Amino acid sequence: MVLNIGPQHPSTHGVLRLQVKTDGEIISEIKPFIGYLHRCFEKHCENVTYEQVIPFTDRCDYLASMANNFGYVVAMEELMEIKVPERVEYIRVIMAELQRIASHLLALGTFGLDVGAFTPFLYMFRDRERILDMFEMTCGARLLYNYMWVGGLSHDLPIGFVESAFRFLDYFEPKIEEYNNILTYNKIFIERTADVGVMPADVAISYGVSGPNLRGSGVKWDIRKDEPYSIYDRFDFDVPVGIGEKGNLGDCWDRFNVRLTEMGESIKILRQALTQIPKNGDVHQTIPKKIRPPKGSIYKRTETPRGDLGFYIISDGSPIPNRLKMRSPAFTALSVLDEIGRGWMLSDVIAILGSLDIVLGEIDR
Amino acid sequence: MSDERDKLIAEVVEKALRGDMDEINNIEDRVTRSKAKAALAKAKRAQTADSPHQIEASDTGESTAPNTLSGNPNQKVGERISEKFPDSRDGEVADTHIQLKPDQWNEIATWLKTEEDLLFDSLQCITGMDLGENVLEARYNLHSMKHRNAIEIRIAVSREIAQIPSIEQVWRIGDWFERETYDMYGIRFTGHRDLRRILLPEDWEGWPLRKDYEVQETYHGIMVPKVKEGWE
Amino acid sequence: MTVDNLYNWLMGFFPGITESPILLIIAILVPCLALFLFIALYALVAIYGELKVSSFMQDRVGPMGQGVGLHAGKWGLLQPVADALKLLTKEDLIPEKADKTLFIMAPFMIFIGAFIAFVAIPFGETLIIADLNIGIFYLLAVGSLAVIALILAGWSSNNKWSLYGGMRSAAQIISYEIPAGVSIVIVIMLTGTLNMQDIIKYQDGGLFNWIIFANPFTFIAFFIYFISGIAETNRTPFDIPEAESEIVGGFHTEYSGMRFAFFFLSEYANMFVVSGIASTGFLGGWQSPISGYFNTPSWGVFWMLSKIMFLVFVMMWFRWTFPRLRVDQLMNVCWKVFLPIGLLNIFGVGIWTLIFG
Repeated sequence: MVLNIGPQHPSTHGVLRLQVKTDGEIISEIKPFIGYLHRCFEKHCENVTYEQVIPFTDRCDYLASMANNFGYVVAMEELMEIKVPERVEYIRVIMAELQRIASHLLALGTFGLDVGAFTPFLYMFRDRERILDMFEMTCGARLLYNYMWVGGLSHDLPIGFVESAFRFLDYFEPKIEEYNNILTYNKIFIERTADVGVMPADVAISYGVSGPNLRGSGVKWDIRKDEPYSIYDRFDFDVPVGIGEKGNLGDCWDRFNVRLTEMGESIKILRQALTQIPKNGDVHQTIPKKIRPPKGSIYKRTETPRGDLGFYIISDGSPIPNRLKMRSPAFTALSVLDEIGRGWMLSDVIAILGSLDIVLGEIDR
Repeated sequence: MSDERDKLIAEVVEKALRGDMDEINNIEDRVTRSKAKAALAKAKRAQTADSPHQIEASDTGESTAPNTLSGNPNQKVGERISEKFPDSRDGEVADTHIQLKPDQWNEIATWLKTEEDLLFDSLQCITGMDLGENVLEARYNLHSMKHRNAIEIRIAVSREIAQIPSIEQVWRIGDWFERETYDMYGIRFTGHRDLRRILLPEDWEGWPLRKDYEVQETYHGIMVPKVKEGWE
Repeated sequence: MTVDNLYNWLMGFFPGITESPILLIIAILVPCLALFLFIALYALVAIYGELKVSSFMQDRVGPMGQGVGLHAGKWGLLQPVADALKLLTKEDLIPEKADKTLFIMAPFMIFIGAFIAFVAIPFGETLIIADLNIGIFYLLAVGSLAVIALILAGWSSNNKWSLYGGMRSAAQIISYEIPAGVSIVIVIMLTGTLNMQDIIKYQDGGLFNWIIFANPFTFIAFFIYFISGIAETNRTPFDIPEAESEIVGGFHTEYSGMRFAFFFLSEYANMFVVSGIASTGFLGGWQSPISGYFNTPSWGVFWMLSKIMFLVFVMMWFRWTFPRLRVDQLMNVCWKVFLPIGLLNIFGVGIWTLIFG
């Protein structure tokens, strides 16, 4: 039987159409059809200036906008060889890590919802609201920030941000234990996710999967540690890797657990950054008046909550990019769905899709 | 010994490109100093042709195998490709990328992936590019998880015969990346098992990211808006 | 008994007539109408309870209002009324290629299946519409009518997702009837009768005379019956047939308006029936937990209703706490876990009764 899941479906994380061929309940082939959210991001970027590209990058992965901004800005600054002040670096790391926690909370909550647990979704959103409140305090926006500019930031931290952030961290750290109790070690949840959708490490690397999906398969690869950018080499944190605790290595449970543990690591980085941040500094100091990068090209990768975000920027010396390609991690994660989804039942495919944590805005651009 | 010397030369050339000529002039050994100056001259020539930025390998990872590509992996890999696959390099030699002709790309790709001290097992990105003057280009960013090297390979084709061998069987992500490049630029990847549009509808006409792209008038009877006036 | 009592009372008005079919019909219809009103009232209470219970468990407040007449009433009390009105006034859509007769028939069948089970539930000492001497057997039999309705709904919608839902549901309900029935067999073994009121009368004498505490095997049997009952009503963790995030709505995807209201209503009615059987068989029905006190007939109604509502609350609690099981794991649990334990229980109860009397 050939069945369509989506494009309108409660749990396809956006407008995604999966054409599945089933044999009873067992899936024999999955063909994803994407492009429903294609907004011609790359063509737009060839007609606007470098500064005007930043709001566009927000809207690609709308659940982790700070991370997108960060990736673009780091690539541009390396191309133009700008060195930003210390305070700007620290604020960027703080924002990126808060965004990582918020994005993972959403990913885990919706994964629980796909599997049938209604309540953890609301608990995680309650905590995510507090992070969004902090973002709103800083730059006025809850979801699409346009915050990190080439050479600096749009706004400095408001007064009281650091104290508010510490209060949030103290409130949030015990919540991870609560999530473990209600979901991670729940017998029914383990039965639904352990041993389901096993992704071996070589398949993952060949398909270009990165981020928590790759770490769930046992490969210890994190760009923050292996190709450090910004000031990530000053912080002391671990990179959680899946160890096949419940069932085979690389199953949905491992990916879920990696994301959960990563939130704990982000808390560590945040504590260090919030104590070390320099009190003074002008965030608009090194923003160039007119962005005219030298001729050349650069490919730079950063670690977003979904994996390796790559920007390939080709500049020809004018204020408008010649070509800007965004290599999104969710694109590669979706391409592996066919490989790891075959032979499972329909409910499992939904669980696997949830564990890959895709955002269609990023895939379609 | 020569590795150390190469490293030293690379360092002083970097500094010299930024304007600090003291280091290079202070090298004791006459042979090394002359080699450094030759390298500086070459780098300056490359600078006028392309960006001063070099994509260098960061070999400070946890790889225990000796990294044979320290320094400038693009250059070194380029040389090895010239040895193993003669007549596959195209255009002039540069330090930031390797320019190849399309013919033997599949074999080169397989060799890059399986060769023991190269092991480029991760295709990071395929970027299509319209260089103007009737040239389309596909740029491949490769990365080795084990040796932590990164290289960039560029293959240029003309607009009339826009065909490049497909490498989707070598790196499985090539499947979707090549479909996207085909969708946007019209470069046909020969040997691809399922080459069809990925982001645009199947029956869309034209190759959007080309510089001379003219959007079609209507799509299934719906007006395709080009300017803001006239939207109703 | 209610029907008998009412009939005799009505006959008392007309001395001299020995039998009257008209009065008999009236004596049957009036309690049924009362029961229908009771079900409607209970449904409103249950829907409101579900909204509020789920909200408080999810750390939010749920529907609230600022006063009578202003949107949802104070504490959101008018919300179920608003829901009911909305469902009544919605457009009635029947998909073009759907099988019209079966499509229309399915909600009625499922509601009939739930409704006719209500006539044998003892609400109080004399408050039972039909005191059948095969009471509990009748209830188990009638509970299977839902299966036909679900298959009809799934098939006639002409929608692959509904078909999936219908098939899964049929497999699930039929399978879980067996552990449920096996647990009830234990009750029958202990009490020696199928009559609902007699089963309850067997359990008089206070809290520890209830069958659930009679011996450890009946304790386990209660839980097996309760969980199988949850599976029969398609509630989470067994709500695979209507798994929202997978197959959109399962068998009731294509239904709208009043027809959907019937499915919705019958789910709550089924919950009541399952809790009713569990209370009767294991928790002592309308018997008071403290022997000798609070055991007048009106208190009996209070005890019965509170036990049933407590079990319904527990079902709601489960829904918002657990993820859902996959369909093959569900079947696994039924056939490989519950059935052996259930059979072992029968064996154990028999031995226990033999030894300890």
